[in-house]
Amino acid sequence: MSVLLSAVEFLHNEPVRVALIVGGGAALVCAVVGVATVMQRQSFAGHALADVSSAGGSAAYLLGLNPLLGFLGLAAAAAGVMEWSEIREARERDLLTGVVLGAGLGLAALLLYFASTVHSASGAAVAVLFGSMFTIPAAVVPLALAVALTALTVSALVHRPLLVSALSVDLARAQGIRVRAVSLAHALALALAVSLAAMTVGAILSTALLIGPAAAALRVARRPAAAVALAAAIGLGATWGGIYLAYESFYWTPGRGWPVSFFIVALVFAAYLTAGALAVRWPRRAVGLPSGCEAH
Amino acid sequence: MALVLLIAGCSAPQERGRPLAIGVESQYADVLSQIGGPYIRVRSILSNPNTDPHAFEANPTVAREVSGAALVVINGLGYDAWITRIMAASPTARRQVIDVRRLLGRPADTVNPHLWYDPRTMPVVAAAAARAFSALDPAHAVYFATQAQRFSASLNTWRAALEAFRAHHGGTAVAVTEPVANALLRAAGCRILTPRALQLAVMNGTDPAPQDVAAQRALLRDHRVQVLVYNQQVTDPLTASFLQLARAEHIPVVGVYETLPQGYHYQDWMLAELQALRAAVTRGVSTRRLGPPGHAR
Repeated sequence: MSVLLSAVEFLHNEPVRVALIVGGGAALVCAVVGVATVMQRQSFAGHALADVSSAGGSAAYLLGLNPLLGFLGLAAAAAGVMEWSEIREARERDLLTGVVLGAGLGLAALLLYFASTVHSASGAAVAVLFGSMFTIPAAVVPLALAVALTALTVSALVHRPLLVSALSVDLARAQGIRVRAVSLAHALALALAVSLAAMTVGAILSTALLIGPAAAALRVARRPAAAVALAAAIGLGATWGGIYLAYESFYWTPGRGWPVSFFIVALVFAAYLTAGALAVRWPRRAVGLPSGCEAH
Repeated sequence: MALVLLIAGCSAPQERGRPLAIGVESQYADVLSQIGGPYIRVRSILSNPNTDPHAFEANPTVAREVSGAALVVINGLGYDAWITRIMAASPTARRQVIDVRRLLGRPADTVNPHLWYDPRTMPVVAAAAARAFSALDPAHAVYFATQAQRFSASLNTWRAALEAFRAHHGGTAVAVTEPVANALLRAAGCRILTPRALQLAVMNGTDPAPQDVAAQRALLRDHRVQVLVYNQQVTDPLTASFLQLARAEHIPVVGVYETLPQGYHYQDWMLAELQALRAAVTRGVSTRRLGPPGHAR
């Protein structure tokens, strides 16, 4: 009875409801885009986008704009730049990504400095870098849902051609796939996913939401479609579970809730470890295409 | 008195010879200059962030000024912890430091650092400043002591207004975003209903608990408070959402300042904020920013 009452109270709480909607959307998009990202070995690029997007989030704080718009603007711009540079060699790509990442975080440091001196908004750094889900304004919800839908649609459209290009660029070209356009579309979806994740768990932790559920799912799933479904389930479970635990933590240490980002990332990590244990007991052929390719 | 001032004006020492006193926060600097008059040079470091955003080259300048200061007044309680590091970088036996928290005998784990909103604080600071100035410039010890007394007396208007408010509107329920003006609100007899943890989360920039955010929204939505007092110098999405809700519910809001507003002296500032509170409680009028001083009186 008291559990039921507590659940009702939980769902009636407005900050919780906003967090469930925005966080759930972010988790779904991240799972779908994340599986493709992990299979394409672009995890580091995904992390770099998140770090660059933190500059946008800080700018939004400084200018008093919708924070999602800030994250989105810079993540999309950085994705465009990294895609446009068209570097295929992994080492070169990592270098460029690393340099862009550093520049983005540096810009974020400057903007956060201004945000905290001009507005003395001391919370800006924590909110941008580590997330502050219970302070997301309800006005963000429509935009967040629109971004999530766009990312899911783009991802669904480029899913197959992206798999083929990941296997072999020549094969993709022979099939009439516009490799460049497909790759750009994926980069855009990645930017959308990353900005949603940055909005919820913060720019620095967003990689956990993007890569974690996908990596865990790919450890046990046999087909890409199953991996996407499993990643979505893990992402949603971790996000909603994290929100619930953060809500409950208010009663563990009286009057002081623990940060929700911690719980989400901890649950994602636990899912990854569990998936590893399952994979050992129940071996299967990897669906992670690149590793499959290497064997040949 | 006019004669004394005239003589004082004539015999004012050269710019270079006057000791330099720094009030880290502009409100302390204001009190220092009221006590020191023409005999002490006074600078502040933390002035109104809205009108004077610190550029990043400020740091070397600050370090240079601090190294030449004969007296530094700091708030303490971590509010200006960086100044202790700057002072440690240029140690000198000549420099006196007044830590307001220690001066007031408050414990080091006091949670709310906004000591200057307490009506008991500044008279103590003024007396300590007069003692420090007398040690630096013994020839004008009488002047400094007189100025400190005059300063304390000049706070009587504010104190009387606080008493009047307490008598007529004691027990007024208020919501706040941060504990900035809590000492003033308590002195005015207000009841602060916002959860303490939420105030601290907003002040320290940590994640607020959803229960506390919901409790604050309920205070406004159910009209259990008569006014929302917010930190006028801090804008973030959470406090913006509280302000929006207050506006929708026709609950008046009062913006309070962390540091001395432009053109104000400490005593006018405190009085103006109390008058803004009274306008909110008696007439339902919001005050988002204080008008030019004098207008408030």
